[in-house]
Amino acid sequence: MNGQVVNKVSTRGRSRRRSRLSGIAVIMLALVAVGSLYTAVAAPSSAQESEPANQSMKVQEGRDLFLSGCSTCHGLNLAGGAGGPSLIGVGASSVIFQVESGRMPLAAGVQQAPRKDVRYTTEQIDALAAYIDSNGGGPSLPSGSLTDGDLQLGGALFRTNCASCHNFAGSGGALTYGKYAPELEQASARVIYTAMQSGPESMPRYGDNQLTVEEKKAITRYVRYITEAEDVGGAGLGRYGPLTEGLVAWVVGVVALVALTLWIGARA
Amino acid sequence: MTTPPHQPEPGSIRDRLSSPRPTDQASGPGDSRTSDVPESSFQNGDSAGDLAAHGRGHKQIHAAMAPEPVGLDRHAMLSDRDAKAAERKVASLFLLALLGVIGFVVTFFAVEQEFGKPWNTWFTPLLGTFMALALGGIGAGAVLWAKLLMVDEEAVQDRHDFGSSAEERAATSKALKQGLADTGLPRRKLLRNSLLLGAGSLALLPLPFVGFLGRFQNKERELATTGWEKGARLIRQNGTPVKLGDIQVGGVESVFPDVEEGTLRADSPALLIRMRPEELQLAGDKQEWAYQGHVVYSSICTHLGCPVKLYEQQTHNLFCPCHQSTFKADQGAKVIFGPAARPLPQLAISVDDEGYFIAEGDFSEPVGPSYWERG
Repeated sequence: MNGQVVNKVSTRGRSRRRSRLSGIAVIMLALVAVGSLYTAVAAPSSAQESEPANQSMKVQEGRDLFLSGCSTCHGLNLAGGAGGPSLIGVGASSVIFQVESGRMPLAAGVQQAPRKDVRYTTEQIDALAAYIDSNGGGPSLPSGSLTDGDLQLGGALFRTNCASCHNFAGSGGALTYGKYAPELEQASARVIYTAMQSGPESMPRYGDNQLTVEEKKAITRYVRYITEAEDVGGAGLGRYGPLTEGLVAWVVGVVALVALTLWIGARA
Repeated sequence: MTTPPHQPEPGSIRDRLSSPRPTDQASGPGDSRTSDVPESSFQNGDSAGDLAAHGRGHKQIHAAMAPEPVGLDRHAMLSDRDAKAAERKVASLFLLALLGVIGFVVTFFAVEQEFGKPWNTWFTPLLGTFMALALGGIGAGAVLWAKLLMVDEEAVQDRHDFGSSAEERAATSKALKQGLADTGLPRRKLLRNSLLLGAGSLALLPLPFVGFLGRFQNKERELATTGWEKGARLIRQNGTPVKLGDIQVGGVESVFPDVEEGTLRADSPALLIRMRPEELQLAGDKQEWAYQGHVVYSSICTHLGCPVKLYEQQTHNLFCPCHQSTFKADQGAKVIFGPAARPLPQLAISVDDEGYFIAEGDFSEPVGPSYWERG
């Protein structure tokens, strides 16, 4: 009887234990299901959550680069100093233009910062840009390719807005008091685009309300196109147009013809 | 007469020229012009062809005046074999010209003129090379032909005497004097004086035409007015109007009046510049002509009318690429360098109800270079 009771108890206890075990299993299963469901559904959001962390690392890296390379002139807190202007609110575009074209860091105090060899890698430049952008915002590069714009539209816009200083073939030209509009052959697509956004030094600034993103991309593509295009008919002579061509025709061509004529006359 | 048929003849050119030539017979005694002039005074080298045309030759060469003979008559000294070789040389140059022509035509049609095609950059240089071969081959062949195979001779021809003979001059003078006496003018004073008055008054005849020219004065003030008018919106070259806020500080935009053919009018292009309002230092009324740091100037240089669109956003210098005139955009476009004598005219602007820029009227002074009645 007792044994039966025990047995009963034990069977009851066993069944209770079994039900408890199955409950745990169900909970475990549910947890796993919820967990995997969560992973499946919420995976992108968790990846997005890692982006700011990535960004903040970039900003941190950019801050380190800034403090070691730029703060002498631009100030420890970006407020500018004896040599350089404040960088608060200039935006990522300005950084990309100045550093990627080699103009910054500046070698010497001159009338106009010349194009030099680039001192930072693209990753470092992006980090610097992220740091500057995190202090006051400002224009930054749009997403997508910079050179997939409408070539023809780009040509029309270039001739209206850019050619007066940069020459119709992007060969550059003189400005006042020793300043100049640089030739564009060495300018990368990022540099061309950010130049329009940030208006470096003498160059006017072209906001997105004036030249839309599409229009700026079109101009960028056009500039890359004309500067990479081959010179049909031999030497481009600097692509300055009739000035250099006329000079060569008169100084080289006509002088050669006169010399030939004299030679024929002397031989006759 | 033509050059004598080729006959090998030894001796120098001078020897051959000294010998009597058929042309000498053409100048007979009827040709009197040479008679008053010493033969030696007008000696000049001339070609055999010209000699033939004039039908006159020379009889004698003064050793002092005659040009030194240059070279020998190579042709006369050529053997048949050398002559054949020279002929082949010339012929090969002429055939080279043919090759050049063929190459030119083939290049023109065969080479694809498209960016990126392998022969594209060679198109123009190839055309030039073949054209040089074609023209140069003919030219060089002709020169060699003349030098190697044609008769090489020199001849001297006297120049004409330019003046008339003394008898002719005397006769003409006499005829003129007789003619004047025949009119009776020296004797009839009334006739002479009335003629002077009548004919002299003819000088006044063009006077009305001077007044007529006055009609072309710039009465419509066409040179002084442009396409800008009150209420005309400022549009870009593609026709879109410019809104307040489109241009950032440090930005520029080429603007035209939103009137018929506004973007095509040569007198209307202007430059809209935006700077920080506190940077603008305009005198008097002109402060009102700007709008929240936006200022518009005619972009036609007051020197010679070139487009002034090179704007430096840091210095506010507006620069003319033709003659380096430099204007201060923040100080009413006053001239700080270069040959321009006047500031660029400023356009009065404001903003309409919809936020678009409009002109408050035309420029207050003529745009572009100075002209006569500009005043």
